[in-house]
Amino acid sequence: MVTVSASVANRLSLQLTFVLFLSVVVVTLFTALLTAPQRDEISEFYLGNRNMSALRNGLAMCGDYVSAATLLGSTGLVALTGYDGLLYLGGTTVAWMTVLLVIAEPLHNSGRFTLGDTLALRLPRLHRPVRLALAICTLTVTTLYLVAQLIGSVALLTQFIGEPSQITRTLCVVVIGTIVVVYAALGGMPGATFIQVVKAVMLVAGVAITAVVVLTHFRWNVNALLSAAAHNSGVGPRFLESGLRYGGGITSKLDFFSLELAIVLGLAALPHVVMRLLAPRTNGVLRTSVVWAMGLVGFVCLAAGILGLGATAIVGREAIARIDPRGDAAVLLLAQSIGGGVLTALISCLAFVTLLAVAAGLTLAAASSLAHDLYGEVVRKGRATQAEELGVARMAAAVIGLLGMLLALLPWETSTASLAFLAFAIAASAILPALVYSLFWRRFSAHGALLSLYGGLICSILLVVFSPVVSSTPTSIYPHVDFAWFPLQNPGIVSIPAGFLLGWLGSVLRPHQETVAQKEFEIRALVGAVRG
Amino acid sequence: MYGYPPQQTNRPPSPAPTADSTRYPSLYEHPEFQSLRRSFRTFGAIAATLVVGGFLLYVLLSSFASRVMNRPLAGHLTLGLALGLAQFAVVAFAVWRYTVHMRRRIDPAARRLRAELGRPEPGRAGRERPRVPQEGRFRAW
Repeated sequence: MVTVSASVANRLSLQLTFVLFLSVVVVTLFTALLTAPQRDEISEFYLGNRNMSALRNGLAMCGDYVSAATLLGSTGLVALTGYDGLLYLGGTTVAWMTVLLVIAEPLHNSGRFTLGDTLALRLPRLHRPVRLALAICTLTVTTLYLVAQLIGSVALLTQFIGEPSQITRTLCVVVIGTIVVVYAALGGMPGATFIQVVKAVMLVAGVAITAVVVLTHFRWNVNALLSAAAHNSGVGPRFLESGLRYGGGITSKLDFFSLELAIVLGLAALPHVVMRLLAPRTNGVLRTSVVWAMGLVGFVCLAAGILGLGATAIVGREAIARIDPRGDAAVLLLAQSIGGGVLTALISCLAFVTLLAVAAGLTLAAASSLAHDLYGEVVRKGRATQAEELGVARMAAAVIGLLGMLLALLPWETSTASLAFLAFAIAASAILPALVYSLFWRRFSAHGALLSLYGGLICSILLVVFSPVVSSTPTSIYPHVDFAWFPLQNPGIVSIPAGFLLGWLGSVLRPHQETVAQKEFEIRALVGAVRG
Repeated sequence: MYGYPPQQTNRPPSPAPTADSTRYPSLYEHPEFQSLRRSFRTFGAIAATLVVGGFLLYVLLSSFASRVMNRPLAGHLTLGLALGLAQFAVVAFAVWRYTVHMRRRIDPAARRLRAELGRPEPGRAGRERPRVPQEGRFRAW
């Protein structure tokens, strides 16, 4: 897809990137091994014993959430499409409101190790089928998102050395995947937290420095920045108006709305983010850490907007689109032109570490779900010992990593962004309805949960299979056939209401009589009295 | 340890007041709990609808009413861009109101009800807690 004739960086910055990245990896790997759980305790492996401070947890949440797709993809989007890209950044920030206002505290009060524990507490009679369904949804979401990160690493490498050969490609995916598996399988939650904190600090510092340099370039005059961006975009003032990318027709407008809907709602149900919500010890720590995370994410998004506009203003839209039609190179080109090789190396190292941190969080979330929900509760029916479950969790991390690598090596010509968006859509349409209903709806039943979990998953996957993502357009996976009867690339606008509707339908058709469990659950979710 | 759900839920609610499970449902009817529940839900629903719904409305307006949104305000700043920046301010304001609301209205009531349950602390699974002070190598900062 990416046809790079002139690579972004010169030899010096490539070597510098390599050295920086290697030193970060070595340091974090050592720390992950040092802080790794020593005893066979699942609470330590899954949640790091819940003794993290608010700032640390907030940094880790930010590190878990801001992926390379946000760092490279959305700045590229801003650089290429102006206003529409800025809208996307706004959605990324607003999404945290759903987490803070609706999900965070009730989930934390009633939760234990995984999301499955919360649903099991709410729906005790049929908790095993519900756990199974939830584990399948979790695995689908995390695997898609993991593959997106691994493909992203190849795309990033492409920026440096041009189109990589099959061997380089394989090597890149295998090396990144193996590091991720080591973080997750040996380090557990403490190890993953460390790399995420390091990444978040690097991210905030990196984008802040670059944004300051860009603003200084324009003497802190935002109007001059906007004016230069509009001038160098080649489309004039239209760059700062909506509709450059999504404006075509009513279909593309709906498509964009569908994407924003999935982003705003999907975050609250992403497994690795949910796991972070369970990690603080008390409600107070959780609240402060979510507020920290929101502040950091908001700052990064604002800075990313400045970087995107700056890239267009300084480098020019034509030059960015020539290197990579999707715009992923925008921020690297900007760094090259304002800061030379050193800044380029810093930003690209940051992008690689970002990939690592997000992938480690995802692998850990998938492994917890596999070991705790699927093995511990469904296969062994709650009789597994801690050591046994922990062994399975470590193995599961390796299996998930391997699966991700294999899928990432398939010769799909698919972009990081479309896989990540699909993961968001599935989370919002399958996991979110079950979560919201079980937290807030008295009559929600296990059949409703099963119907919304499986229904939302199948609905969103089917809609994507029959969408332009898979067939009919030159950028599809199968460009030469046409079975795309669903016109939108993002299924959210249909599949999210469908998921909620199915949950309601299942609960109305097959109500249940678990009033005691339901009242207990509600008290627990609000008051937070948790028994061991 | 993983006998999740807790065994209590499998028992029919017995009149014996010793079991926790019988105290849970009785607390549910407590007027203070009901007002706590109402207060938490009302705030969450209103704030989430306003902020998230407001953002989605802004996205829709940007696509379908681009004429209005592209009206220039000052220099290159259009109404749409200004509203986009305002989203960040709205989020910050909502977060501030939420923390104030929780601190004033929810936390004290939850603490009182917790005391009613005979649980002094909102600690997580009781079995883990005594271990933590011995934990030396992974301190919080």
